[in-house]
This record gives sequence, structure tokens and C-alpha cells, in this order.
Amino acid sequence: MSKNNELVDDLVAKLKRRQLVGSSAVAHATLKLLIVVISKNNWSTCNQLLNIVKSVGQRLVQANPTELAVGNIVRRVLHVIREEFREAESSAATNKNQSEFHAAPLTTSSSMYNLLGETSSIPDDNVQYPSSLRSNIIQEIREIKDELENIYDSIKNQASLQIHSNEIIMTIGRSKTVEEFLKMAAVKRKFQVLVAESAPSYSGQDMAVELSKAGIETTVIPDSAVFAVMSRVNKVILGTHAVLANGGLVAISGTHMMAAAAKHHSIPVVVCTGLYKLSPLYPYDEDSFNVTFNPDSVLGFEEGDLIEKVTVTNPYYDYVSPDFVNLFITNQGGHPPSYLYRLIVENYDPNDHTFDL
Amino acid sequence: MSKDFDVVANYKSLLLNSPELSMPVAAIQSLVELIKHSNATTMSEFMLSINVASQLLKSSVRNSISLSAGCDLFLRFVTRNSQDVAEFETWKATLIVRGQSFVEKADACRYKIAELGVPFIKDGSTILIHAHSRVVSLLLQKAAENHKRFKVFVTESSQTRGGIRSAKMLRAAGIPTTIILDAAVGYVIDKVDMVLVGAEGVVENGGLINQIGSYQMAIVAKAANKPFYAVAESYKFVRLFPLNQYDLPTYNADTLSFQELNVDYDSKSDDAGFVTPSALSQTALHMKTSEDQGSQGSNPLVDYTPPNYITLLFTDLGVLTPSGVSDELIKLYL
Repeated sequence: MSKNNELVDDLVAKLKRRQLVGSSAVAHATLKLLIVVISKNNWSTCNQLLNIVKSVGQRLVQANPTELAVGNIVRRVLHVIREEFREAESSAATNKNQSEFHAAPLTTSSSMYNLLGETSSIPDDNVQYPSSLRSNIIQEIREIKDELENIYDSIKNQASLQIHSNEIIMTIGRSKTVEEFLKMAAVKRKFQVLVAESAPSYSGQDMAVELSKAGIETTVIPDSAVFAVMSRVNKVILGTHAVLANGGLVAISGTHMMAAAAKHHSIPVVVCTGLYKLSPLYPYDEDSFNVTFNPDSVLGFEEGDLIEKVTVTNPYYDYVSPDFVNLFITNQGGHPPSYLYRLIVENYDPNDHTFDL
Repeated sequence: MSKDFDVVANYKSLLLNSPELSMPVAAIQSLVELIKHSNATTMSEFMLSINVASQLLKSSVRNSISLSAGCDLFLRFVTRNSQDVAEFETWKATLIVRGQSFVEKADACRYKIAELGVPFIKDGSTILIHAHSRVVSLLLQKAAENHKRFKVFVTESSQTRGGIRSAKMLRAAGIPTTIILDAAVGYVIDKVDMVLVGAEGVVENGGLINQIGSYQMAIVAKAANKPFYAVAESYKFVRLFPLNQYDLPTYNADTLSFQELNVDYDSKSDDAGFVTPSALSQTALHMKTSEDQGSQGSNPLVDYTPPNYITLLFTDLGVLTPSGVSDELIKLYL
């Protein structure tokens, strides 16, 4: 369908082999590829372009369905394309028949009113689009790119509002977003951080090293001690792999336990995340976006006798239901979980939640 | 004004002729019918006649929640379009066309909801449903068509016996179904993976008005930490903001009043609305239409489930969190 197949194949292969992991990395790679696809392919109508992008998106998503950021970026791009075409169409329409009375405002999304109102017009394939359309679309997509690049800045700027002096903060795993957030807060305030070591990946230990390098008073605790020390904690700040449409998290395993302990002690749970991690998909069941990793780090192969007798699994993610989360800090500000549907409506088109062509 | 056209009779005959029709759709259809018969010559006369008709419709049935949702939606549509009327007669004609196309779209709504809801049904799961809801049945039938294997518990719902109707439909679709007593919801909840209910109306705060028993089901589900999903077409969204059960428009002084009921508690008759296990199996064999409405006069038909008990709503506008409902209503009424 599209040209630049080598580039698409390359990214698909990287996703499949898990050479490219992490929401931020895959989001950047996806966006870069889509810019090339849109600028190098031939298209003249909205549907053609949508189909080109969707077919690429479909392949990327299937390559690694657990990297939800890929799908999110594709949906953002599709949304931008629809918006630009809509704008081009309405300006073409007003130029054509200025004297006639104004056409009905274009419905942006389905609503109850549409049940009785006119069916939204299918994009007319005969409309002459201005030649600037391609560059406009690319321009809009570059804005998404800028947004991705500035995500840490806009999130960390809210740090001093959330973290107060002499507070004790708890976190788990290594999240670049949380790391930047805490470092920024440390510029103005003095506080203590407890990091759960996050076995079996021990990414929490790396996090602790980074934080203490920045001069933050950091303590590593074993995962099993999370509940025990929770009563002393003022706030739990978490990173996440993805945020689902209901406000649930797909985050490193251990997060659910930490959030549950926080809820038990009525400690607020704050999640720092870029908007590109917000997916319009729902957790159809709790394991739908999980992966199990190599169990070697849980029980090594040296323990030969034992390995024969037990099953060892190493799930990488936890699903955390939205009632455990009090606040999301995104690059657009702070939102309660119940508000996320609004962000989804603003950023994605309802027709793009699945990439069926 | 069209004195010769009886909107209530039209509505009732519509429902009688096609049992698959839901109340709000029938209401809109009969209002369209009214417009066809209307010989109003001025705008205000026309608006008045529609208003009067929808009031008549609302007062004609005991449980008017979903009916009034349909009426209000149509009225809203008429008033919203009334500003830019160029010619009265052509406008009336477009209203009729739109109303008729609504009836077709309404049917498509259910299929869209079924499509959205199917992924939520896990293979090998057990689902608890309440009474009879066309859209819930359709969703489950679609899931079965998609080769999902699941079992269903359905509450008998002693007032309307809707559960028996549901069970018949589901069994016909090859879904293992068990009818349980309304009082057995707590007993089965541990064996259940999710609860699915339909809706008479979805209110402004995302809460739910549905056949009596839904509220207690939601409380039990919450206590057992099971997801409680509501399934509703968007034309059932109503502009109500109930704070408790007694805020509903269906509530009146007679509801649950402490009067001497003329009921013989000792007799084992079905007429009193009591179901003994033997009566249950009997009714399961040959479905009975309830002609015993009168003896239950003081019992409420619907209850209100507050939004904090609802996990998600499956609607034709997409899968919504309860807070998403008010957004849709604002879009319509602002």
C-alpha cells in the first residue's frame, strides 16, 4: 500500500525483537516514521491518506501490542489529518458559495444529537484541496513532535506544587518522568525519597542512584517493606507504562501493591505521565496488556533441581485500577482519573480507536 | 390543533405491534405521527401541540423514565431547529424525515453497543444480568456468535418476569443460562466475573435508572469487587439529577405506603407476586404475562443506582465512564 516499506519493516522488526522498548522511545520512532510516510507517499484525498497511515499503524501495533504508545501516536496523527482535511474542506466550501446560507457546522464527534441530526457528510473526494495541505499536516505533526520533546519540562514544572518541604515521597521502578519531576522539586525543596527496589529488575536501585546523584536524600527499601513504611509516607509518586481510558495504569509490577498499601493508609497516589501514554483502549481484562519476561531473574537456571519442580513466571506489568489513583500529572496539568475521558475526546477521533481499514 | 389524533393510543399500538421497539423510540415515532396529522399553521401552535402531546405521553404510563428521555430528545431537536425555519411546511417535512431516520438509527445503536461490549466478555467467564433488556441480550448473543464461551445467571425479576424471557432468548442462542431468585444475587456473586444491566434511563451524573433490583445488585457487586457495567443507548440519557431513590419522577405518595394490602399471604397463588421454587420452575416452562400489576401497585418499578457503583457504561457514543455522560448531555442542551 505505502512506499517506504523498508523503513516500516525496520521499525516493525525492532518492535518485534524488543530492540526498541519504552513508551518514549517507541513514540518518537513512530512519529518519525509517520512523518516520512506522509511526506513521501502519493495521496490526494482524506481517505487515501488515512488508509496509508492506518495500514502502517496496524503493522506497528501488531508488532508489539503491549507498547500502547505506538497506537496512541498513530491515533494522534490520524486525528490531526482529519482536522486538517476538515478545515481545508470548510474553507473550500465557504469560498465556493459565500452567498448561500452557511452549511451546518461540521460535527466533530458523534453525539446524541446526531441521532436526529443530519448524518455527518462523508469527505467529498472531489474537493480541490489547497496545495499547502501537505505542509500543513506535516507542520501539525511536527507540533506533536515538539510536544513529545518538551514533555518532561511541562511535567516537571508542576513539581513544586505537588511536593512540599520535609515530605517523604515513595516511588517504585525507574521512570524518567518521575526522576525529572523529583529532581526539579529538589531544586527548591528538601525532601526524602523512599524507592522500592523493584525486584526482579531492580530498576528502583538505578533510580535511587540517579536521585542521590542529584542530592536528594534517598533510601532504597525492599519491595516487601512497602506496606510497613507506608504509614510514614506523605505521597506516592508513580511512573507508568501506559494509562488506559478508564484511568487504569499499566505499570511496572509492584505498582499495584504499592498503590493498594497507599490506599489502605489514605496516602495520595500521584501518577506522572506524558499524554502520549494515554490510550483510548479499555482494560478488557486485567492481563490484556501484560507481558511475562524471562524468569531467569526470579529463579536462575543454576537452581536446576528446583526449576524442574516449580513453575516460575515473571510478569513485567501490573494493572492498577483507577480507584487507586488520586491524580494524574500530565504535560497539560493535573487531572483526576474521572477526567481522562475528556482528554481522550480531545486528542483522538472516536473512529480511530481500532485501526480497521 | 389536531384533535382527531390520539398520540397515546398510537404509542400503545406501536409497542403492542412490535415488541422489539423500545419506549423512547416508540415515543418519537408517535410524535412524528402527530406532526404528520398536525394542521397547525403557526409556529407557537405547533410547538404547543408537541409539548402537550409529550406531556400526555409521559402521564399515560406508570413508569415514564425512558419514554420521557425520547420525548425530551425530540423536543430538544425541534426547538433547536425552530430558529432557522425558512418555510414552515418544508420544515415539518424534514422533521418527519429525520424522525423516521431516527427510528432506523436507533436500531443500529444497539448493534454498535454490542460490538463495543463484546471485547469485555472474557472467555470462560460467568456473567450476572438483571431481568430483561434487549440491548444486553443482543450483546450476549453477539458475544456467543463471536465464539466466546460464557455462562449467564439471570435474575428472575419477580415483577415483570423479564428474567425468564431473557433466559429463553439466551438459551436459544446456545448460552448456558440459569435463572436465579432476585434474593440470590448475594449468593451467586462470588461465582460471577461481571454484572451487566440495561437501563431505563441514564441520568446526568452518570447514574442509572433501571428495573427494580439493579441498585442492590450494584451494591453487592461493589462489595464483592466485581465490575458493574451498564448498557444503554444514548437516547436514554435523561436530564434528571436524582440524589436518592425518592427523587425519581416515578415516586409518588402511594409508593411503599403503609396501607393494608388486600393480599392473602397464606395462599400460594402467583397473583400476589410471590414466587416459590415450584412456581419458578412452572413459570420457566410456560412464560406468564403478568396480569397482577394491580396487587403490586405500591411497589416501585425502577430504582436509581448512583454513579459510584458503575464501572463503565457501554453506549453507542462509545464506552463511557459515568462522568462522561454529563458531557454528552451538556453537548445536547447547551
